[in-house]
Amino acid sequence: MRVAVIVPAYNEARNLPRLAEGLRAHAPGCDVCVVDDGSTDDTSRVAAELGWTVLRLPVNLGIGGAVQAGYLWAREHGHDVAVQIDGDGQHDPAYLEALLAPVKTGDADVVIGSRFLSEGGFRSTAVRRAGIRYLSWFLRLRCGARITDTTSGFRAAGRSAIELFARYYPSDYPEPEAIALAKRAGLRLAEVPVRMSERTHGRSSITALRTLYYLVKVSLALLLLPSRRSPSEVHPS
Amino acid sequence: MTQAILPVEIQLLSLVVLVVFSAWVLWLIRTQQLHLRESLIWLLTTVAAIAVTAWPELLVRASRLVGVQVPANALFGAGLLYLALNVLAVTIGVSRNTTTVRRLAQECALLRAEVVELRARLDGRPPAAPAPREQEKAKR
Repeated sequence: MRVAVIVPAYNEARNLPRLAEGLRAHAPGCDVCVVDDGSTDDTSRVAAELGWTVLRLPVNLGIGGAVQAGYLWAREHGHDVAVQIDGDGQHDPAYLEALLAPVKTGDADVVIGSRFLSEGGFRSTAVRRAGIRYLSWFLRLRCGARITDTTSGFRAAGRSAIELFARYYPSDYPEPEAIALAKRAGLRLAEVPVRMSERTHGRSSITALRTLYYLVKVSLALLLLPSRRSPSEVHPS
Repeated sequence: MTQAILPVEIQLLSLVVLVVFSAWVLWLIRTQQLHLRESLIWLLTTVAAIAVTAWPELLVRASRLVGVQVPANALFGAGLLYLALNVLAVTIGVSRNTTTVRRLAQECALLRAEVVELRARLDGRPPAAPAPREQEKAKR
Protein backbone atom coordinates (compact mmCIF):
# COMPACT_ATOMS: atom_id res chain seq x y z
CA MET A 1 0.00 0.00 0.00
CA ARG A 2 1.54 3.26 -1.16
CA VAL A 3 1.12 6.11 1.29
CA ALA A 4 1.51 9.79 0.42
CA VAL A 5 2.08 12.30 3.20
CA ILE A 6 0.85 15.75 2.23
CA VAL A 7 2.39 18.59 4.21
CA PRO A 8 0.83 21.98 3.49
CA ALA A 9 3.42 24.54 4.55
CA TYR A 10 3.50 28.31 4.61
CA ASN A 11 6.78 29.69 5.98
CA GLU A 12 7.50 26.54 7.98
CA ALA A 13 11.22 26.16 7.21
CA ARG A 14 12.07 26.08 10.93
CA ASN A 15 9.44 23.45 11.76
CA LEU A 16 10.11 21.00 8.93
CA PRO A 17 13.28 19.30 10.28
CA ARG A 18 11.41 18.25 13.42
CA LEU A 19 8.59 16.83 11.32
CA ALA A 20 11.21 14.97 9.26
CA GLU A 21 12.54 13.26 12.40
CA GLY A 22 9.04 12.17 13.35
CA LEU A 23 8.24 10.88 9.89
CA ARG A 24 11.53 9.01 9.64
CA ALA A 25 10.80 7.30 12.94
CA HIS A 26 7.11 6.51 12.44
CA ALA A 27 6.49 6.39 8.70
CA PRO A 28 9.70 5.43 6.92
CA GLY A 29 8.10 4.03 3.76
CA CYS A 30 5.89 6.99 2.91
CA ASP A 31 6.30 9.43 0.03
CA VAL A 32 6.35 12.89 1.53
CA CYS A 33 5.12 15.82 -0.51
CA VAL A 34 5.51 19.32 0.89
CA VAL A 35 3.22 21.90 -0.64
CA ASP A 36 4.96 25.25 -0.31
CA ASP A 37 2.10 27.72 -0.46
CA GLY A 38 4.08 30.69 -1.74
CA SER A 39 6.35 30.90 1.30
CA THR A 40 8.81 33.76 1.57
CA ASP A 41 11.27 31.79 3.69
CA ASP A 42 13.37 28.71 2.89
CA THR A 43 10.50 26.20 3.12
CA SER A 44 11.12 24.80 -0.38
CA ARG A 45 14.87 24.49 0.01
CA VAL A 46 14.64 22.87 3.44
CA ALA A 47 12.01 20.41 2.23
CA ALA A 48 14.06 19.48 -0.86
CA GLU A 49 17.18 18.97 1.26
CA LEU A 50 15.20 16.60 3.45
CA GLY A 51 14.68 14.56 0.29
CA TRP A 52 11.00 15.31 -0.07
CA THR A 53 9.02 16.14 -3.16
CA VAL A 54 8.23 19.86 -3.18
CA LEU A 55 5.19 21.37 -4.85
CA ARG A 56 6.03 25.04 -4.91
CA LEU A 57 2.93 27.09 -5.64
CA PRO A 58 3.86 30.25 -7.54
CA VAL A 59 1.26 32.25 -5.58
CA ASN A 60 -0.28 31.86 -2.14
CA LEU A 61 -3.52 29.92 -2.59
CA GLY A 62 -4.43 29.37 1.03
CA ILE A 63 -4.73 26.03 2.79
CA GLY A 64 -7.51 24.70 0.53
CA GLY A 65 -5.63 25.20 -2.72
CA ALA A 66 -2.41 23.89 -1.18
CA VAL A 67 -3.96 20.70 0.18
CA GLN A 68 -5.71 20.09 -3.13
CA ALA A 69 -2.36 20.37 -4.93
CA GLY A 70 -1.19 17.54 -2.68
CA TYR A 71 -4.21 15.42 -3.54
CA LEU A 72 -3.64 16.08 -7.26
CA TRP A 73 -0.08 14.88 -6.80
CA ALA A 74 -1.20 11.76 -4.93
CA ARG A 75 -3.75 10.97 -7.61
CA GLU A 76 -1.20 11.44 -10.38
CA HIS A 77 1.27 9.14 -8.67
CA GLY A 78 -1.32 6.50 -7.89
CA HIS A 79 -1.09 6.49 -4.11
CA ASP A 80 -3.57 4.34 -2.20
CA VAL A 81 -3.76 6.58 0.84
CA ALA A 82 -2.91 10.23 1.42
CA VAL A 83 -2.32 11.63 4.88
CA GLN A 84 -2.58 15.34 5.54
CA ILE A 85 -0.27 16.54 8.28
CA ASP A 86 0.48 20.16 9.13
CA GLY A 87 4.03 21.40 8.76
CA ASP A 88 3.88 23.47 11.95
CA GLY A 89 4.51 20.69 14.46
CA GLN A 90 0.94 20.48 15.79
CA HIS A 91 0.47 16.96 14.52
CA ASP A 92 2.58 14.09 15.83
CA PRO A 93 3.65 11.54 13.16
CA ALA A 94 3.48 8.88 15.91
CA TYR A 95 -0.28 8.75 15.27
CA LEU A 96 0.11 8.15 11.55
CA GLU A 97 -0.33 4.38 11.86
CA ALA A 98 -3.52 4.81 13.90
CA LEU A 99 -4.82 7.25 11.32
CA LEU A 100 -4.04 4.89 8.44
CA ALA A 101 -5.43 1.76 10.08
CA PRO A 102 -9.16 2.22 9.22
CA VAL A 103 -8.28 2.96 5.58
CA LYS A 104 -5.93 -0.03 5.37
CA THR A 105 -8.54 -2.41 6.76
CA GLY A 106 -11.10 -0.96 4.37
CA ASP A 107 -13.36 0.32 7.14
CA ALA A 108 -13.25 3.98 6.18
CA ASP A 109 -12.44 6.30 3.27
CA VAL A 110 -11.70 9.39 5.33
CA VAL A 111 -10.17 9.29 8.81
CA ILE A 112 -9.99 12.37 11.00
CA GLY A 113 -7.48 12.67 13.83
CA SER A 114 -9.39 14.05 16.80
CA ARG A 115 -7.78 15.72 19.80
CA PHE A 116 -11.07 15.51 21.68
CA LEU A 117 -11.18 11.72 21.67
CA SER A 118 -7.85 11.59 23.47
CA GLU A 119 -6.70 12.71 26.90
CA GLY A 120 -4.43 15.70 27.33
CA GLY A 121 -2.42 17.48 24.67
CA PHE A 122 -3.16 20.86 23.17
CA ARG A 123 -6.90 21.51 23.06
CA SER A 124 -7.04 25.11 21.81
CA THR A 125 -8.76 28.03 23.53
CA ALA A 126 -12.25 27.81 25.09
CA VAL A 127 -13.73 30.05 22.39
CA ARG A 128 -12.39 27.91 19.59
CA ARG A 129 -13.44 24.71 21.33
CA ALA A 130 -16.98 26.12 21.48
CA GLY A 131 -16.76 26.93 17.77
CA ILE A 132 -15.56 23.41 16.98
CA ARG A 133 -18.41 21.91 19.02
CA TYR A 134 -20.90 24.10 17.24
CA LEU A 135 -19.53 22.95 13.86
CA SER A 136 -19.65 19.35 15.01
CA TRP A 137 -23.33 19.78 15.93
CA PHE A 138 -24.04 21.59 12.68
CA LEU A 139 -22.33 18.92 10.56
CA ARG A 140 -24.33 16.16 12.25
CA LEU A 141 -27.55 18.08 11.72
CA ARG A 142 -26.74 19.00 8.13
CA CYS A 143 -25.42 15.76 6.73
CA GLY A 144 -25.28 13.25 9.55
CA ALA A 145 -21.49 13.23 9.91
CA ARG A 146 -20.45 12.46 13.49
CA ILE A 147 -17.09 14.17 13.89
CA THR A 148 -15.84 15.68 17.15
CA ASP A 149 -12.81 17.55 15.82
CA THR A 150 -14.25 19.23 12.75
CA THR A 151 -11.35 21.61 12.12
CA SER A 152 -8.60 19.02 12.48
CA GLY A 153 -6.22 19.10 9.54
CA PHE A 154 -4.71 15.75 10.54
CA ARG A 155 -6.54 13.27 8.33
CA ALA A 156 -6.14 10.29 6.03
CA ALA A 157 -7.91 9.77 2.72
CA GLY A 158 -8.31 6.52 0.80
CA ARG A 159 -8.35 6.19 -2.97
CA SER A 160 -11.92 7.35 -3.53
CA ALA A 161 -11.39 10.30 -1.20
CA ILE A 162 -8.17 11.26 -3.00
CA GLU A 163 -10.14 11.19 -6.24
CA LEU A 164 -12.87 13.38 -4.74
CA PHE A 165 -10.55 15.92 -3.14
CA ALA A 166 -8.34 16.16 -6.26
CA ARG A 167 -11.46 17.05 -8.22
CA TYR A 168 -12.96 19.37 -5.68
CA TYR A 169 -11.63 20.78 -2.46
CA PRO A 170 -13.09 23.84 -0.73
CA SER A 171 -11.05 26.97 -0.13
CA ASP A 172 -10.89 29.36 2.80
CA TYR A 173 -11.12 27.24 6.01
CA PRO A 174 -11.90 24.02 4.14
CA GLU A 175 -11.76 21.34 6.87
CA PRO A 176 -15.43 21.12 8.00
CA GLU A 177 -16.67 21.56 4.44
CA ALA A 178 -14.41 18.76 3.20
CA ILE A 179 -16.01 16.44 5.77
CA ALA A 180 -19.47 17.35 4.47
CA LEU A 181 -18.35 16.85 0.86
CA ALA A 182 -16.98 13.42 1.63
CA LYS A 183 -20.13 12.45 3.50
CA ARG A 184 -22.32 13.70 0.69
CA ALA A 185 -20.25 11.76 -1.86
CA GLY A 186 -21.12 8.61 0.09
CA LEU A 187 -17.66 8.08 1.60
CA ARG A 188 -17.33 6.43 4.99
CA LEU A 189 -15.92 8.62 7.75
CA ALA A 190 -14.06 7.55 10.87
CA GLU A 191 -12.33 9.34 13.69
CA VAL A 192 -9.36 8.23 15.76
CA PRO A 193 -7.90 9.83 18.90
CA VAL A 194 -4.67 11.79 18.45
CA ARG A 195 -2.76 14.17 20.68
CA MET A 196 -1.92 17.57 19.31
CA SER A 197 0.68 19.99 20.54
CA GLU A 198 0.86 23.75 20.32
CA ARG A 199 2.88 24.96 17.38
CA THR A 200 6.51 25.52 18.26
CA HIS A 201 7.40 28.40 15.93
CA GLY A 202 5.31 31.12 14.36
CA ARG A 203 1.66 31.89 14.78
CA SER A 204 -1.49 30.10 13.73
CA SER A 205 -3.03 31.55 10.59
CA ILE A 206 -6.37 31.86 12.40
CA THR A 207 -6.46 34.85 14.74
CA ALA A 208 -9.16 35.42 17.36
CA LEU A 209 -10.76 38.12 15.23
CA ARG A 210 -11.28 35.78 12.33
CA THR A 211 -13.04 33.14 14.40
CA LEU A 212 -16.45 34.74 13.87
CA TYR A 213 -15.91 35.10 10.13
CA TYR A 214 -14.78 31.48 10.13
CA LEU A 215 -17.99 30.27 11.76
CA VAL A 216 -20.27 32.38 9.56
CA LYS A 217 -18.45 31.38 6.37
CA VAL A 218 -18.38 27.68 7.17
CA SER A 219 -22.02 27.63 8.32
CA LEU A 220 -23.10 29.29 5.09
CA ALA A 221 -20.97 26.93 3.02
CA LEU A 222 -22.53 23.94 4.79
CA LEU A 223 -26.03 25.32 4.34
CA LEU A 224 -25.51 25.84 0.61
CA LEU A 225 -23.82 22.49 0.12
CA PRO A 226 -26.46 20.42 -1.70
CA SER A 227 -27.16 22.98 -4.40
CA ARG A 228 -23.51 23.30 -5.21
CA ARG A 229 -21.75 21.26 -7.83
CA SER A 230 -18.04 21.22 -8.22
CA PRO A 231 -16.80 23.24 -11.22
CA SER A 232 -15.20 20.17 -12.76
CA GLU A 233 -18.51 18.36 -12.63
CA VAL A 234 -20.26 21.20 -14.42
CA HIS A 235 -17.59 21.80 -17.04
CA PRO A 236 -15.58 18.65 -17.55
CA SER A 237 -12.21 19.74 -18.83
CA MET B 1 -50.53 62.73 -18.17
CA THR B 2 -49.78 66.11 -19.74
CA GLN B 3 -46.91 67.14 -17.48
CA ALA B 4 -43.50 66.12 -18.83
CA ILE B 5 -41.88 63.47 -16.67
CA LEU B 6 -38.39 64.50 -17.65
CA PRO B 7 -37.35 68.02 -18.67
CA VAL B 8 -36.20 67.88 -22.29
CA GLU B 9 -32.69 69.10 -21.45
CA ILE B 10 -32.15 66.31 -18.95
CA GLN B 11 -33.63 63.81 -21.33
CA LEU B 12 -31.23 64.87 -24.09
CA LEU B 13 -28.22 64.92 -21.76
CA SER B 14 -29.04 61.43 -20.44
CA LEU B 15 -29.45 60.10 -23.97
CA VAL B 16 -26.09 61.54 -25.04
CA VAL B 17 -24.36 60.08 -21.97
CA LEU B 18 -25.93 56.65 -22.46
CA VAL B 19 -25.18 56.57 -26.19
CA VAL B 20 -21.57 57.63 -25.61
CA PHE B 21 -21.33 54.95 -22.91
CA SER B 22 -22.61 52.19 -25.20
CA ALA B 23 -20.35 53.43 -27.99
CA TRP B 24 -17.44 53.12 -25.55
CA VAL B 25 -18.44 49.57 -24.63
CA LEU B 26 -18.73 48.65 -28.32
CA TRP B 27 -15.32 50.18 -29.00
CA LEU B 28 -13.82 48.17 -26.13
CA ILE B 29 -15.25 45.00 -27.66
CA ARG B 30 -14.00 45.86 -31.16
CA THR B 31 -10.49 46.54 -29.87
CA GLN B 32 -10.70 43.29 -27.88
CA GLN B 33 -10.24 44.92 -24.51
CA LEU B 34 -13.58 43.58 -23.32
CA HIS B 35 -15.00 40.14 -23.99
CA LEU B 36 -18.42 40.07 -25.55
CA ARG B 37 -19.63 37.64 -22.89
CA GLU B 38 -18.78 40.00 -20.04
CA SER B 39 -20.09 43.06 -21.88
CA LEU B 40 -23.44 41.62 -22.92
CA ILE B 41 -25.10 42.57 -19.64
CA TRP B 42 -23.76 46.13 -19.96
CA LEU B 43 -25.15 46.46 -23.48
CA LEU B 44 -28.55 45.01 -22.62
CA THR B 45 -29.04 47.11 -19.49
CA THR B 46 -27.83 50.25 -21.24
CA VAL B 47 -30.25 49.70 -24.12
CA ALA B 48 -33.03 49.38 -21.54
CA ALA B 49 -31.89 52.64 -19.93
CA ILE B 50 -31.93 54.37 -23.34
CA ALA B 51 -35.46 53.10 -23.99
CA VAL B 52 -36.69 54.45 -20.65
CA THR B 53 -35.00 57.82 -21.24
CA ALA B 54 -36.39 58.18 -24.76
CA TRP B 55 -39.92 57.13 -23.79
CA PRO B 56 -40.43 58.10 -20.14
CA GLU B 57 -44.06 56.91 -20.36
CA LEU B 58 -42.62 53.42 -20.18
CA LEU B 59 -41.29 54.26 -16.76
CA VAL B 60 -44.60 55.76 -15.63
CA ARG B 61 -46.51 52.74 -16.80
CA ALA B 62 -44.02 50.36 -15.22
CA SER B 63 -44.09 52.20 -11.89
CA ARG B 64 -47.90 52.18 -11.87
CA LEU B 65 -47.81 48.48 -12.58
CA VAL B 66 -45.72 47.76 -9.48
CA GLY B 67 -47.49 50.41 -7.41
CA VAL B 68 -44.71 53.01 -7.11
CA GLN B 69 -46.30 56.46 -6.68
CA VAL B 70 -43.44 58.68 -7.84
CA PRO B 71 -41.88 57.59 -11.14
CA ALA B 72 -38.56 59.16 -10.05
CA ASN B 73 -38.40 56.58 -7.25
CA ALA B 74 -38.89 53.83 -9.77
CA LEU B 75 -36.01 55.37 -11.70
CA PHE B 76 -33.75 55.20 -8.65
CA GLY B 77 -34.83 51.62 -8.04
CA ALA B 78 -34.14 50.67 -11.64
CA GLY B 79 -30.76 52.44 -11.48
CA LEU B 80 -29.77 50.47 -8.39
CA LEU B 81 -30.87 47.23 -9.98
CA TYR B 82 -28.86 48.11 -13.09
CA LEU B 83 -25.70 48.62 -11.02
CA ALA B 84 -26.30 45.57 -8.84
CA LEU B 85 -26.76 43.34 -11.89
CA ASN B 86 -23.55 44.54 -13.47
CA VAL B 87 -21.54 44.26 -10.26
CA LEU B 88 -22.84 40.71 -9.77
CA ALA B 89 -21.72 39.87 -13.31
CA VAL B 90 -18.25 41.16 -12.48
CA THR B 91 -18.13 39.15 -9.23
CA ILE B 92 -19.09 35.99 -11.11
CA GLY B 93 -16.22 36.66 -13.49
CA VAL B 94 -13.78 37.16 -10.60
CA SER B 95 -14.89 33.89 -8.96
CA ARG B 96 -14.43 32.03 -12.20
CA ASN B 97 -10.96 33.51 -12.59
CA THR B 98 -10.05 32.55 -9.02
CA THR B 99 -10.89 28.92 -9.77
CA THR B 100 -8.86 29.05 -12.96
CA VAL B 101 -5.85 30.69 -11.33
CA ARG B 102 -5.91 28.15 -8.49
CA ARG B 103 -5.92 25.25 -10.91
CA LEU B 104 -3.15 26.79 -13.02
CA ALA B 105 -0.97 27.48 -9.97
CA GLN B 106 -1.39 23.86 -8.87
CA GLU B 107 -0.50 22.61 -12.34
CA CYS B 108 2.60 24.84 -12.34
CA ALA B 109 3.71 23.36 -9.02
CA LEU B 110 3.12 19.80 -10.23
CA LEU B 111 5.05 20.43 -13.45
CA ARG B 112 7.92 22.08 -11.60
CA ALA B 113 8.20 19.07 -9.30
CA GLU B 114 8.23 16.86 -12.39
CA VAL B 115 10.99 18.96 -13.98
CA VAL B 116 13.11 18.88 -10.82
CA GLU B 117 12.78 15.10 -10.67
CA LEU B 118 13.52 14.57 -14.35
CA ARG B 119 16.53 16.87 -14.25
CA ALA B 120 17.87 15.02 -11.23
CA ARG B 121 17.38 11.69 -13.00
CA LEU B 122 19.12 13.06 -16.08
CA ASP B 123 22.12 14.17 -14.04
CA GLY B 124 22.11 10.93 -12.07
CA ARG B 125 22.05 12.71 -8.76
CA PRO B 126 19.46 13.00 -6.02
CA PRO B 127 16.91 15.84 -6.41
CA ALA B 128 18.62 19.13 -5.70
CA ALA B 129 17.21 22.04 -3.82
CA PRO B 130 15.32 24.41 -6.12
CA ALA B 131 16.91 27.82 -6.55
CA PRO B 132 15.69 30.38 -4.04
CA ARG B 133 13.39 33.04 -5.36
CA GLU B 134 15.82 35.80 -6.16
CA GLN B 135 13.23 38.39 -7.06
CA GLU B 136 11.23 38.03 -3.89
CA LYS B 137 14.36 38.02 -1.79
CA ALA B 138 15.48 41.24 -3.45
CA LYS B 139 12.14 42.89 -2.80
CA ARG B 140 12.35 42.30 0.92
